[in-house]
Amino acid sequence: MLVILAGQEDRCASWLANRWKSSKVALLTSADLSRRGWRHHVPSSYMGAAVIDGHKVAVDTIAGVLTRIPCVYEHELGHIMPADRAYVASEMTAFLFAWLSGLSCPVLNRPTANCLGGPNWRRERWVRLATSLGIPALPVQRKVSQISDGLVEQPSCEVIVVGDRCFGNAAPALTSHARALAKAADVDLLAVQFNSPDAEGQFVSASLWPHLVCPEVADAVLCHLLGRAAC
Amino acid sequence: MLVLLWGLEADAPLAKVQEQLRLLGVPTKFIDQRSVLQTEVEFEANDGVEGFLRIRDESIDLGAVTAVYLRPYESVGLAEIASGGPQSRPWQHAAQVDDILMSWSEITPALVVNRCSAMAVNGSKPFQLEQIRALGWSVPQTLITTDPSAARAFWKHHGDVIYKSVSGIRSRVARLRPEHRERFSSLTFCPTQFQQYIAGTDHRVHVVGNEVFACEVRCSADDYRYATDDVPEVLACRLPSDLEDKCRRLAAAMQLPVAGVDLRRTPEGEWFCFEVNPSPAFTYYEQVTGQPIGQAVARLLAGARPATISRRGIGLTPEPAPAVNQLHTWLEDRRVRHG
Repeated sequence: MLVILAGQEDRCASWLANRWKSSKVALLTSADLSRRGWRHHVPSSYMGAAVIDGHKVAVDTIAGVLTRIPCVYEHELGHIMPADRAYVASEMTAFLFAWLSGLSCPVLNRPTANCLGGPNWRRERWVRLATSLGIPALPVQRKVSQISDGLVEQPSCEVIVVGDRCFGNAAPALTSHARALAKAADVDLLAVQFNSPDAEGQFVSASLWPHLVCPEVADAVLCHLLGRAAC
Repeated sequence: MLVLLWGLEADAPLAKVQEQLRLLGVPTKFIDQRSVLQTEVEFEANDGVEGFLRIRDESIDLGAVTAVYLRPYESVGLAEIASGGPQSRPWQHAAQVDDILMSWSEITPALVVNRCSAMAVNGSKPFQLEQIRALGWSVPQTLITTDPSAARAFWKHHGDVIYKSVSGIRSRVARLRPEHRERFSSLTFCPTQFQQYIAGTDHRVHVVGNEVFACEVRCSADDYRYATDDVPEVLACRLPSDLEDKCRRLAAAMQLPVAGVDLRRTPEGEWFCFEVNPSPAFTYYEQVTGQPIGQAVARLLAGARPATISRRGIGLTPEPAPAVNQLHTWLEDRRVRHG
């Protein structure tokens, strides 16, 4: 089965689950982490169990995971006493980090210590990575004083990377830059923004949360999770 | 050479390192978080990293910084800022200062003790434990579960079992006792971590660059940090050289120039590793053993080569998780309550 780890109100996740229904897809939300049945071992010498959409499943039946949340949010834990929500959210997030990291199936994206969806870097970090790869980038200037705030650059072009495939109306050079950036960041799903779609366009920023409500992109994500070549 | 210290003046490890840097005659600047509302930062990242930080009339060229010792708390937690709430100007200013300095500390070519991205792994104990195991250490069998029957079976199998938080929230490690059985139904609401109890003697090992300071902790309590009846006796000791090397490799693999490694030696002589603390409060151990850990941290910072505005080669690791330092004692005095 395929699993979409998402917030309870994530319409995109519901849309994807519906589009992929022939592939046996289920949504995993924070509510499932408050259900009897989870088992995760270190070392992983015993088979683990998960609870997905209310049903207990053996971990080895999971074929792929798409992660749509950076962490478990307190506001989704209405079934927990308010005084305990922050703590429970931290515990659930820490648990998911360990659990997702231990999966051997495709996971988009693999979690990092600060984000369940991959390296949730600040823009400065993405720019440093881009420049280290020789990708022209707009500098990031941030300033905090008593009278002014940081500057925000507005991208005008976005390339979405899904594994080896790229989507978006951009010059081939930018597509190549986007792919190189995703590879260097060790992620398979990335939205890469430039200030122009032309070959001279400069890198602005990157996001781990591309807009997936687009049939072409959604199908590419499905293929990646299923381990298939472009379909 | 310029060493930057960031945190609160009252923080004991920070104060100790500052004192040792002063004795070494190392140029040092202290960013006191209590002055965050008087702090201004400018920062530019492109193919280099440049910036200035101003606290009142004092200006610091971030490009001149050769080493940084980080011990910050969330500035918005300071009473005068917290009281205004997230929409207030002071809150937003403090949050931005923290964010920019965190961002800078991740990409500066200066030596950073320790980068938040490296420290963040400690935010998930089972993840870190798996990392420790993969590096060749013995670790206790661990189960994280929402299933009371699985917890009962694990307990029965191992005989003696402890529980502790899954996240980096500081928790008291305690052994399961018969009176906990009635609370097992609460497990359903939140994954809870159980670990095989390992009998033996605790050892805290501080790795500072290439230096290793080990001490043995004699105490009968399950968690000596909270022992009340049996005051822990902490004695400086020397580990076998291969074990010292193993600790160095562990800290290096985790990209932690300074680390506090928690070990336990069983009566049979086997060494287990439980956790690696990425921001150890070493002053307690220094005080009771006399080991010059603060001096070693100061020397490490002072020995960092002058920073250059590097255009290549900054290590790339993920960004920080928020620091959590609340005291948590789950089954003992707090339950996860069903709303």
